[in-house]
Amino acid sequence: MRRDDLRPAVFGTATRDRVLIRLALSENGLHVRELARQIDSSANAVHRVVIALERAGVVVSRPVGTTRIVLLNRRWYGALELRALLERLAVAYPEVADRARGYRERPRRIGKPL
Amino acid sequence: MTLSTGATLVDVAFAACTVLDRAGETAVLCGGSAAAFYVPDRYQSFDVDFVVEVGAAPHVVDRALASIGYVREREGYYRHAGLPYALAFPIGPLAIGREEVTAWRTERRDAALLHVYAPTDVVRDRFLHYWAWGDRTALDVATAVARARPEAVDLAAIRAWTDREMASDPSYDASRVARFFASLRE
Repeated sequence: MRRDDLRPAVFGTATRDRVLIRLALSENGLHVRELARQIDSSANAVHRVVIALERAGVVVSRPVGTTRIVLLNRRWYGALELRALLERLAVAYPEVADRARGYRERPRRIGKPL
Repeated sequence: MTLSTGATLVDVAFAACTVLDRAGETAVLCGGSAAAFYVPDRYQSFDVDFVVEVGAAPHVVDRALASIGYVREREGYYRHAGLPYALAFPIGPLAIGREEVTAWRTERRDAALLHVYAPTDVVRDRFLHYWAWGDRTALDVATAVARARPEAVDLAAIRAWTDREMASDPSYDASRVARFFASLRE
Protein backbone atom coordinates (compact mmCIF):
# COMPACT_ATOMS: atom_id res chain seq x y z
CA MET A 1 0.00 0.00 0.00
CA ARG A 2 1.40 3.43 -0.90
CA ARG A 3 2.51 5.38 2.15
CA ASP A 4 2.17 8.73 0.37
CA ASP A 5 -1.55 8.17 -0.19
CA LEU A 6 -3.43 11.41 0.47
CA ARG A 7 -6.93 10.03 0.05
CA PRO A 8 -9.05 10.47 3.19
CA ALA A 9 -9.65 7.40 5.30
CA VAL A 10 -13.44 7.51 5.37
CA PHE A 11 -13.74 4.51 7.70
CA GLY A 12 -10.81 5.43 9.94
CA THR A 13 -7.83 3.87 8.21
CA ALA A 14 -6.72 3.24 4.64
CA THR A 15 -6.75 -0.51 5.27
CA ARG A 16 -10.36 -0.39 6.51
CA ASP A 17 -11.42 1.58 3.46
CA ARG A 18 -9.76 -0.86 1.09
CA VAL A 19 -11.04 -3.96 2.87
CA LEU A 20 -14.61 -2.70 2.76
CA ILE A 21 -14.39 -1.48 -0.84
CA ARG A 22 -12.87 -4.75 -2.01
CA LEU A 23 -15.56 -6.75 -0.21
CA ALA A 24 -18.25 -4.59 -1.82
CA LEU A 25 -16.83 -5.62 -5.19
CA SER A 26 -17.10 -9.31 -4.32
CA GLU A 27 -20.23 -11.44 -4.63
CA ASN A 28 -18.94 -14.51 -2.81
CA GLY A 29 -16.40 -13.08 -0.36
CA LEU A 30 -12.66 -13.63 -0.09
CA HIS A 31 -10.38 -15.35 2.36
CA VAL A 32 -8.12 -13.09 4.41
CA ARG A 33 -4.89 -13.82 2.55
CA GLU A 34 -6.48 -13.19 -0.83
CA LEU A 35 -8.16 -10.08 0.51
CA ALA A 36 -4.77 -8.82 1.75
CA ARG A 37 -3.16 -9.59 -1.59
CA GLN A 38 -5.93 -7.83 -3.46
CA ILE A 39 -5.49 -4.59 -1.50
CA ASP A 40 -1.70 -4.83 -1.22
CA SER A 41 -1.66 -5.15 2.57
CA SER A 42 -0.46 -7.71 5.11
CA ALA A 43 -2.65 -10.62 6.21
CA ASN A 44 -2.20 -9.62 9.85
CA ALA A 45 -3.38 -6.07 9.22
CA VAL A 46 -6.38 -7.29 7.26
CA HIS A 47 -7.17 -9.90 9.91
CA ARG A 48 -7.30 -7.20 12.60
CA VAL A 49 -9.60 -5.06 10.48
CA VAL A 50 -11.87 -7.99 9.74
CA ILE A 51 -12.21 -8.86 13.44
CA ALA A 52 -13.16 -5.27 14.27
CA LEU A 53 -15.69 -5.08 11.44
CA GLU A 54 -17.14 -8.45 12.37
CA ARG A 55 -17.68 -7.28 15.96
CA ALA A 56 -19.52 -4.28 14.57
CA GLY A 57 -21.73 -6.60 12.54
CA VAL A 58 -20.72 -5.07 9.22
CA VAL A 59 -18.96 -8.15 7.87
CA VAL A 60 -19.36 -11.86 8.53
CA SER A 61 -17.04 -14.77 7.98
CA ARG A 62 -17.71 -18.45 7.44
CA PRO A 63 -15.26 -21.33 7.70
CA VAL A 64 -14.30 -23.12 4.50
CA GLY A 65 -11.82 -25.93 5.13
CA THR A 66 -8.94 -24.48 7.11
CA THR A 67 -9.62 -20.87 6.18
CA ARG A 68 -12.42 -18.34 6.55
CA ILE A 69 -14.28 -16.51 3.82
CA VAL A 70 -15.08 -12.90 4.66
CA LEU A 71 -17.97 -11.01 3.11
CA LEU A 72 -20.19 -8.02 3.77
CA ASN A 73 -23.06 -8.90 6.08
CA ARG A 74 -26.18 -8.58 3.97
CA ARG A 75 -28.28 -9.08 7.11
CA TRP A 76 -26.91 -5.89 8.66
CA TYR A 77 -29.61 -3.22 8.80
CA GLY A 78 -27.54 -0.70 6.81
CA ALA A 79 -26.11 -3.22 4.34
CA LEU A 80 -27.66 -1.79 1.18
CA GLU A 81 -26.66 1.78 1.92
CA LEU A 82 -23.14 0.73 2.89
CA ARG A 83 -22.67 -1.26 -0.30
CA ALA A 84 -23.90 1.67 -2.39
CA LEU A 85 -21.47 4.02 -0.64
CA LEU A 86 -18.57 1.61 -1.05
CA GLU A 87 -19.28 1.10 -4.74
CA ARG A 88 -19.24 4.89 -5.10
CA LEU A 89 -15.96 5.15 -3.16
CA ALA A 90 -14.42 2.47 -5.38
CA VAL A 91 -14.13 5.13 -8.08
CA ALA A 92 -11.43 6.75 -5.94
CA TYR A 93 -9.58 3.44 -5.63
CA PRO A 94 -9.01 2.35 -9.24
CA GLU A 95 -6.16 0.02 -8.24
CA VAL A 96 -8.55 -1.94 -5.98
CA ALA A 97 -11.29 -1.98 -8.62
CA ASP A 98 -8.83 -3.08 -11.33
CA ARG A 99 -7.63 -6.03 -9.28
CA ALA A 100 -11.20 -6.96 -8.46
CA ARG A 101 -12.08 -7.02 -12.15
CA GLY A 102 -9.17 -9.37 -12.82
CA TYR A 103 -10.10 -11.77 -10.02
CA ARG A 104 -12.16 -14.77 -11.08
CA GLU A 105 -14.91 -15.75 -8.61
CA ARG A 106 -16.88 -18.07 -10.88
CA PRO A 107 -16.03 -21.79 -10.97
CA ARG A 108 -13.33 -23.11 -13.27
CA ARG A 109 -13.15 -26.74 -14.41
CA ILE A 110 -10.08 -28.62 -13.18
CA GLY A 111 -7.47 -28.96 -15.92
CA LYS A 112 -9.04 -26.39 -18.23
CA PRO A 113 -6.24 -24.55 -20.08
CA LEU A 114 -5.82 -20.85 -19.33
CA MET B 1 -30.28 -13.84 42.39
CA THR B 2 -28.20 -16.99 41.94
CA LEU B 3 -27.82 -19.64 39.26
CA SER B 4 -27.50 -23.30 40.21
CA THR B 5 -25.25 -25.70 38.30
CA GLY B 6 -28.32 -27.25 36.72
CA ALA B 7 -29.59 -23.97 35.28
CA THR B 8 -31.02 -24.12 31.77
CA LEU B 9 -30.61 -21.58 28.97
CA VAL B 10 -33.97 -20.10 29.92
CA ASP B 11 -32.94 -19.84 33.58
CA VAL B 12 -29.77 -18.01 32.53
CA ALA B 13 -31.69 -15.72 30.19
CA PHE B 14 -34.17 -14.78 32.92
CA ALA B 15 -31.39 -14.14 35.45
CA ALA B 16 -29.27 -12.05 33.08
CA CYS B 17 -32.19 -9.99 31.83
CA THR B 18 -33.40 -9.37 35.39
CA VAL B 19 -30.08 -8.17 36.81
CA LEU B 20 -29.55 -5.95 33.75
CA ASP B 21 -33.04 -4.53 34.15
CA ARG B 22 -32.34 -3.75 37.80
CA ALA B 23 -29.16 -1.97 36.63
CA GLY B 24 -31.26 0.17 34.30
CA GLU B 25 -30.43 -1.65 31.04
CA THR B 26 -33.02 -3.18 28.75
CA ALA B 27 -31.62 -6.34 27.15
CA VAL B 28 -33.71 -8.27 24.62
CA LEU B 29 -33.13 -11.96 23.98
CA CYS B 30 -32.76 -12.49 20.24
CA GLY B 31 -31.15 -14.81 17.70
CA GLY B 32 -31.14 -18.56 18.10
CA SER B 33 -31.51 -18.33 21.86
CA ALA B 34 -34.89 -16.63 21.43
CA ALA B 35 -35.92 -19.55 19.22
CA ALA B 36 -34.69 -21.95 21.91
CA PHE B 37 -36.96 -20.14 24.37
CA TYR B 38 -40.06 -20.93 22.28
CA VAL B 39 -39.12 -24.42 21.02
CA PRO B 40 -36.64 -25.83 23.56
CA ASP B 41 -37.36 -29.38 22.43
CA ARG B 42 -36.52 -28.57 18.79
CA TYR B 43 -33.57 -26.24 19.12
CA GLN B 44 -30.81 -25.91 21.69
CA SER B 45 -28.16 -23.27 21.94
CA PHE B 46 -25.24 -22.52 24.23
CA ASP B 47 -25.06 -18.88 23.15
CA VAL B 48 -27.47 -16.52 24.88
CA ASP B 49 -27.68 -13.46 22.63
CA PHE B 50 -28.95 -10.17 24.00
CA VAL B 51 -29.07 -6.80 22.33
CA VAL B 52 -28.88 -3.98 24.83
CA GLU B 53 -29.66 -0.37 24.16
CA VAL B 54 -27.06 1.35 22.03
CA GLY B 55 -24.64 3.13 24.33
CA ALA B 56 -25.02 0.86 27.36
CA ALA B 57 -21.94 1.29 29.55
CA PRO B 58 -19.80 -1.89 29.64
CA HIS B 59 -18.96 -1.45 33.33
CA VAL B 60 -22.68 -1.42 34.20
CA VAL B 61 -23.21 -4.64 32.25
CA ASP B 62 -20.07 -6.18 33.79
CA ARG B 63 -21.18 -5.43 37.34
CA ALA B 64 -24.73 -6.67 36.79
CA LEU B 65 -23.64 -9.94 35.22
CA ALA B 66 -20.92 -10.51 37.82
CA SER B 67 -23.71 -10.68 40.41
CA ILE B 68 -24.90 -13.94 38.79
CA GLY B 69 -21.40 -15.29 38.23
CA TYR B 70 -20.80 -14.19 34.64
CA VAL B 71 -17.43 -12.61 33.81
CA ARG B 72 -16.44 -10.86 30.60
CA GLU B 73 -13.83 -12.68 28.57
CA ARG B 74 -12.09 -11.90 25.31
CA GLU B 75 -14.21 -11.18 22.24
CA GLY B 76 -16.85 -9.65 24.48
CA TYR B 77 -18.39 -12.94 25.61
CA TYR B 78 -19.42 -13.48 29.22
CA ARG B 79 -18.86 -16.90 30.73
CA HIS B 80 -19.84 -18.67 33.93
CA ALA B 81 -17.41 -21.06 35.65
CA GLY B 82 -20.09 -23.69 36.24
CA LEU B 83 -22.41 -23.33 33.24
CA PRO B 84 -21.96 -24.03 29.51
CA TYR B 85 -23.97 -21.03 28.34
CA ALA B 86 -22.11 -17.97 27.08
CA LEU B 87 -23.73 -14.55 27.08
CA ALA B 88 -23.14 -12.39 24.01
CA PHE B 89 -24.16 -8.84 23.23
CA PRO B 90 -24.23 -8.26 19.48
CA ILE B 91 -24.03 -4.58 18.61
CA GLY B 92 -27.50 -3.07 18.13
CA PRO B 93 -29.82 -1.64 17.18
CA LEU B 94 -32.28 -4.46 17.44
CA ALA B 95 -33.09 -5.14 13.82
CA ILE B 96 -34.17 -7.90 11.46
CA GLY B 97 -32.85 -7.19 8.01
CA ARG B 98 -33.51 -3.56 7.23
CA GLU B 99 -36.20 -3.10 9.86
CA GLU B 100 -35.65 -2.13 13.48
CA VAL B 101 -37.50 -4.09 16.14
CA THR B 102 -39.15 -1.69 18.56
CA ALA B 103 -41.46 -4.02 20.48
CA TRP B 104 -40.90 -7.33 22.20
CA ARG B 105 -42.54 -9.60 24.75
CA THR B 106 -41.79 -9.43 28.45
CA GLU B 107 -42.19 -12.77 30.20
CA ARG B 108 -42.35 -12.93 33.99
CA ARG B 109 -41.37 -15.73 36.35
CA ASP B 110 -41.76 -14.91 40.04
CA ALA B 111 -39.66 -11.76 40.54
CA ALA B 112 -37.65 -12.34 37.37
CA LEU B 113 -38.36 -11.00 33.90
CA LEU B 114 -37.23 -11.70 30.38
CA HIS B 115 -37.49 -9.42 27.35
CA VAL B 116 -37.59 -11.64 24.27
CA TYR B 117 -38.39 -11.32 20.58
CA ALA B 118 -42.05 -11.99 19.87
CA PRO B 119 -42.66 -15.29 18.05
CA THR B 120 -43.27 -13.52 14.72
CA ASP B 121 -39.90 -11.80 15.00
CA VAL B 122 -38.14 -15.04 15.93
CA VAL B 123 -39.56 -16.60 12.78
CA ARG B 124 -38.49 -13.58 10.69
CA ASP B 125 -35.01 -13.64 12.25
CA ARG B 126 -34.43 -17.35 11.72
CA PHE B 127 -35.92 -17.28 8.25
CA LEU B 128 -33.61 -14.39 7.34
CA HIS B 129 -30.61 -16.60 8.22
CA TYR B 130 -31.87 -19.11 5.68
CA TRP B 131 -32.80 -16.42 3.17
CA ALA B 132 -29.43 -14.66 3.33
CA TRP B 133 -27.06 -17.58 3.78
CA GLY B 134 -28.99 -20.69 2.81
CA ASP B 135 -28.81 -22.10 6.35
CA ARG B 136 -31.31 -24.99 6.31
CA THR B 137 -31.11 -25.43 10.08
CA ALA B 138 -32.39 -21.88 10.48
CA LEU B 139 -35.26 -22.67 8.10
CA ASP B 140 -36.18 -25.70 10.21
CA VAL B 141 -36.16 -23.58 13.37
CA ALA B 142 -38.30 -20.86 11.76
CA THR B 143 -40.76 -23.51 10.69
CA ALA B 144 -40.76 -25.15 14.13
CA VAL B 145 -41.54 -21.86 15.90
CA ALA B 146 -44.30 -21.02 13.41
CA ARG B 147 -45.88 -24.44 13.98
CA ALA B 148 -45.46 -24.36 17.75
CA ARG B 149 -46.99 -20.90 18.14
CA PRO B 150 -49.56 -20.60 15.34
CA GLU B 151 -51.72 -18.23 17.38
CA ALA B 152 -48.80 -15.86 17.96
CA VAL B 153 -47.05 -15.92 14.59
CA ASP B 154 -48.44 -13.46 12.05
CA LEU B 155 -47.75 -15.10 8.70
CA ALA B 156 -49.35 -12.25 6.77
CA ALA B 157 -46.95 -9.82 8.44
CA ILE B 158 -44.02 -12.09 7.56
CA ARG B 159 -45.19 -12.26 3.93
CA ALA B 160 -45.48 -8.46 3.79
CA TRP B 161 -42.02 -8.09 5.32
CA THR B 162 -40.45 -10.41 2.74
CA ASP B 163 -42.07 -8.31 0.02
CA ARG B 164 -40.54 -5.14 1.51
CA GLU B 165 -37.10 -6.74 1.80
CA MET B 166 -37.23 -7.93 -1.81
CA ALA B 167 -38.33 -4.50 -2.97
CA SER B 168 -35.23 -3.06 -1.29
CA ASP B 169 -32.84 -5.81 -2.32
CA PRO B 170 -33.92 -7.70 -5.45
CA SER B 171 -31.01 -10.12 -5.07
CA TYR B 172 -32.95 -11.96 -2.36
CA ASP B 173 -34.19 -15.30 -3.65
CA ALA B 174 -38.00 -15.40 -3.87
CA SER B 175 -37.95 -19.19 -4.15
CA ARG B 176 -36.71 -19.39 -0.54
CA VAL B 177 -39.76 -17.46 0.61
CA ALA B 178 -41.96 -19.90 -1.29
CA ARG B 179 -40.09 -22.82 0.27
CA PHE B 180 -40.66 -21.46 3.78
CA PHE B 181 -44.40 -21.08 3.30
CA ALA B 182 -44.60 -24.46 1.59
CA SER B 183 -42.78 -26.07 4.52
CA LEU B 184 -45.52 -24.85 6.85
CA ARG B 185 -48.08 -26.83 4.86
CA GLU B 186 -46.09 -30.09 4.95
